[in-house]
Amino acid sequence: MSTKRSPLNRLRRSLGLETQNEWPSVARERLLAYGLLAVYVLIIWFPIYYIFITSLKPSSEVLSLPITFLPQNPTAQNYVDIFTNRPFDNYTINSMLVATTTTLICITLGTVTGYSFSRFDFMGNKSLLLSIVGARMIPPIALIVPFFQIMSNPPLIGGFTGSLYDTRLALILTYTFFNLPFAVWIMKNYFDGIPESLDEQARIDGCSRWEAFVKIILPMAKPGIAATAILAFIFSWNEFVFALVLTSSEQAQTLPIAVSLFVADDFVDWAHLAAGGMIAALPGILFGLFFQQYIVSGLTQGAVKE
Amino acid sequence: MSIEKSPLRRKLDKLFVPLTVGPTLLWIAAIIVYPTAKLLFSSLQFRNPVTNEIEFVGLRNFRRLIFAREGGQAALGVFNPSFVSITTNTAIYVGFSVSISFLLGLGIALLLDKDLKGRGWFRTAVIVPWILPYVMSGLMWRWMFQSDFGAINGALQRLGIISGNIPFLSDGALAMVALIIADVWVFTPFIIIILLAGLQNVPEQLYDAAEVDGASRWSRFWNVTYPFLKPSILVALTIRIIFDIRALDLVWVMTQGGPGKSTEVWASWLYRTAQVFNEPGSGAALGVVLLAVTFAIVASLYKIFGESPYQA
Repeated sequence: MSTKRSPLNRLRRSLGLETQNEWPSVARERLLAYGLLAVYVLIIWFPIYYIFITSLKPSSEVLSLPITFLPQNPTAQNYVDIFTNRPFDNYTINSMLVATTTTLICITLGTVTGYSFSRFDFMGNKSLLLSIVGARMIPPIALIVPFFQIMSNPPLIGGFTGSLYDTRLALILTYTFFNLPFAVWIMKNYFDGIPESLDEQARIDGCSRWEAFVKIILPMAKPGIAATAILAFIFSWNEFVFALVLTSSEQAQTLPIAVSLFVADDFVDWAHLAAGGMIAALPGILFGLFFQQYIVSGLTQGAVKE
Repeated sequence: MSIEKSPLRRKLDKLFVPLTVGPTLLWIAAIIVYPTAKLLFSSLQFRNPVTNEIEFVGLRNFRRLIFAREGGQAALGVFNPSFVSITTNTAIYVGFSVSISFLLGLGIALLLDKDLKGRGWFRTAVIVPWILPYVMSGLMWRWMFQSDFGAINGALQRLGIISGNIPFLSDGALAMVALIIADVWVFTPFIIIILLAGLQNVPEQLYDAAEVDGASRWSRFWNVTYPFLKPSILVALTIRIIFDIRALDLVWVMTQGGPGKSTEVWASWLYRTAQVFNEPGSGAALGVVLLAVTFAIVASLYKIFGESPYQA
């Protein structure tokens, strides 16, 4: 007799199998669902696994037959190489700085603006909000030409800054273009979910609007801010096309560009590319594994409004 | 007691909205309105690549882009593949990727919507491909599809399905298939997440009621699930289609539009014209077309589903 707490029994319960000899349709259906999901997960993780083991193979093994699906002589040499023979430290710092600064700007402005759009009926607020969100509909790639021109020769501030081409600042300015409208939208929807009576209570207690916002509402909005921050960070970290157009040297190039540089005209250095790719993919994998619920809530706040 | 407010506080309170909304609006105006205006303006210009002289050409860029190349304009015409074939490629790429990833995503979302143990774990495992840098994913798939040392040929051979190597990326049609597979791999998670959120809005009691009424599985989906899922479907499709039309990353790192022009899409063509071939005028004109197509697609999806994806 097995005890009630045995893993087998727990499994049976979760499958909806109450008695020993029955296989109700619920159980069959759930087993099928588990099976299909497991197959799907295995298939979608295989490429990630494959690039990971490629990054651990010495270059000679990468280009030898038959292909191995387990590295024969695993080594971290590729990772050492890309930091010693190539400026991967610079690329990583650039990526960190650009993504972090963009994220800070987007959550700061996105939060205060989102709050105002959620709470106040000011002149044209509806159409203003719509045009901010609508701005996100502009295909970014359509704007590579003007962005290149503007960054090479910035209007108004150009006399002070000189050309912004090949600077991290150019990327930061550009990435706020992708992320700020999205941040305003997510935060507005998040604040909509916080009851307005809380603001009023704080006001009655003698808080100014600013105090009510900073002391009462902002702490409640932390999950929304986290969601916005993670998405803004990931989007800026992963961006490729504008980085390709607006930078040309290691002083501003980011990891996605660095990875693409392993592709020469007719030769690709796959072993090192895989190592660089793993470095570039790391935040995505970590965020996905640990902050999945924030990503999901940010995406659905930003995209679907109940 | 601090009930009475100092004049400064009152003034600051009055300025709450301008101070919180103002900077964002200025920022967005500077970073979106100005470049967009410049885009429209550039699309009417032609820059001589040799002398760098800028000439106002009216709608000639558009004419050259959309209609047949003009004999006298060979300087640009030589490089421009026909608009029709690239539009067809774009339609094939977007059409297949979006519909396959939509159906696959809907299926997975419906599976995940069941009250399964470890659902959070599955969701975590499922979301990752979407969060990786697209360039990394594109190169990863290029490596997988590599003909001599690629994992796909290797696996297919080991399983005894094929004997020789399939040249996935050097055959035009196969390269398009490879692109679509990579695209589906990257973007199915997005569909899953948006649809799963929508499925969560369906009231449980309705399912029970439908079951009691003896409704078939299909009719339960169509009459109970679908109406609640419609807004999510609209959002998922809109964002997905728009993104695929404009996205360059995957195409550029996997095939660069090749072999030949077989996987050239609007986005890669725009990049090629504007950057590689240094023709900002033609690139801007294509950018304007892309803009118009995007808005047309959003408007027609809105019409079909009768709802705005961006309800304020």
